Amino acid sequence: MLIALLSWLGSILVSLLLGTFLCYRIEKSGVERWGATGKLFK
Amino acid sequence: MLNAGELQVNYLNEGVICVFWYIFVFVLYTFFIIVLNLRSLKQVETFADFTTGGHRMGLWVGVFTTVATWVSVASVMGVPGYLYSNGVSAIIGWIAGWFLATAFIPIVAYKVRRPKNPPRTFPEFIHLRYEPFQKRSPLRAIVGLLMSIGYFIFVHLQVVGFGIVFSTITGIQYEIALFGFLFFLLFTSIGGFWSVSVTDSVNTIIIVLGVILGAFAVLYSTGGFVNIYENLATTTAPTFEGGESLPKGLLLSPVGGFGFGALCSIFLSNALGAIVSPHWVTRMMAPKNVKTAILQMMLSVLILTLIFIPLIIIGLGAKMLIPSLPAGQTTDYIMPTVITEFAHPIVGAFTLVALCAAAISTANSMLLHAGTSIYYDLYRNLFPDKDFHDEKGKKQLRYLVLTLGFLAVLSAIKPPVLLAMGFTYVYGAFGAVFFFVVLLGLYTKRMNRLAAYANVIVGLVAFIIAHIVGATNPFLVSLVVSFIAVLLSIIIGKKSPLEAYEPYFEVEVSPSTEKVLNIIRNEGADGSTDILANDSINHEVKA
Repeated sequence: MLIALLSWLGSILVSLLLGTFLCYRIEKSGVERWGATGKLFK
Repeated sequence: MLNAGELQVNYLNEGVICVFWYIFVFVLYTFFIIVLNLRSLKQVETFADFTTGGHRMGLWVGVFTTVATWVSVASVMGVPGYLYSNGVSAIIGWIAGWFLATAFIPIVAYKVRRPKNPPRTFPEFIHLRYEPFQKRSPLRAIVGLLMSIGYFIFVHLQVVGFGIVFSTITGIQYEIALFGFLFFLLFTSIGGFWSVSVTDSVNTIIIVLGVILGAFAVLYSTGGFVNIYENLATTTAPTFEGGESLPKGLLLSPVGGFGFGALCSIFLSNALGAIVSPHWVTRMMAPKNVKTAILQMMLSVLILTLIFIPLIIIGLGAKMLIPSLPAGQTTDYIMPTVITEFAHPIVGAFTLVALCAAAISTANSMLLHAGTSIYYDLYRNLFPDKDFHDEKGKKQLRYLVLTLGFLAVLSAIKPPVLLAMGFTYVYGAFGAVFFFVVLLGLYTKRMNRLAAYANVIVGLVAFIIAHIVGATNPFLVSLVVSFIAVLLSIIIGKKSPLEAYEPYFEVEVSPSTEKVLNIIRNEGADGSTDILANDSINHEVKA
């Protein structure tokens, strides 16, 4: 059961980390049309 | 002490009260659906309204519609069914698989939402990316055909789920209960963008509350999760009465009764296939910008976690409460069965309506996807010179959707596969034919027209053959074979023109690219767009 739950938890963590990384890339691009606002999660 | 006659009267009274609550809550939900959709008829939704909805979706509307799109009968009925029959392995195969897909979808969003005016449908994206100079795009037609088949199967599965729940609520025979779906279809297929958004938001709230209440009912009846866990470790009760006993501990094994190869296949199909599924690619074109699309998926994952923890409790707890299902039923029945037998009638009614909400909202949107693929990407794409009137076109699309709905009901009378597995097959097929078309198309300028044809045709053929010969992992086989075909095609095929890939690689596009985009999108000088194109964006599909 632990393996199953960890695989699920891993998917959730991948989602949060990958999403954060892509938001960072958008901020770094500075393109407002893509959503760059100066704040990572806004 | 009560005599036998008095006991019978008591049971009858309890039964009547249960049915009363189920029907009362269901009628309330039906009333809400009818009022909401009739009100949307009075609202003047111009073509621009539809477009605005399509490419300017805010974060929270996006989160609710994503969750409503994501959650279908495969999640709320199929997954508890597999948890019941195969234990925790279903968490790896379906839940972790789908969540990983949700984690990777932002990779698609990061590119596909970059253009100032993104495509409005998935086949239109294919047309623009691979055949931008062709008025009639054969690839777009092939993709539209494959999509319409895939989404018809998705609809079929929703109708099956609806039939199971509706027959449980009303006591009507399953084959007749199915036709109740047509009643809902009649009302839900008339709404526009905002009514769909509001319906989705309310459906999401109903689903979250419904499954949480259901899980509390199961925890109360079983005495807590420790008891559920101990039962999973020791039970050998067969899934169906009179069937083969399960090996002790099977339900706690990571691979369950599937075996390692089959579980890998299910996981990969759900995880990789869903990323490139047309409805998710289309969904990523709707938010107002790239970052909103990414945040939308991140927040959706958190809400989906709130839905899946209760579903896991219900699916695993059901094994303790109902050790074996009656012979002749499928495991898709376990969710409504356990709720009707062990939850308080009001809680039960709420949870069952949540299942119906998942089925109806998904089926309706999938039908529109199938309908628009046939009408817009096949018919209109192949006959671009015909004189199309938007009002007439809208009417024709409605008739097409209703016809497809009727056919879906007929096909659901004898369902051939279980709900969750049906989704896995379609996701596997979508992954086989669209994986490189989408991902390489967005991330590599060298991905060309020939390679796109190679992925779609070779991937489809390999997937079908792998299934026929009984390969353990048809999705992986077709992915490897189509990858080789794609690589060869990139080497020998012509390079893509600038107009095909520029919107996904540059911040500003050249005038020639802008011109090509406008021609394919049929945009007038005022930027007005066609309503039919937007239907497929605004009515989204669930996983």
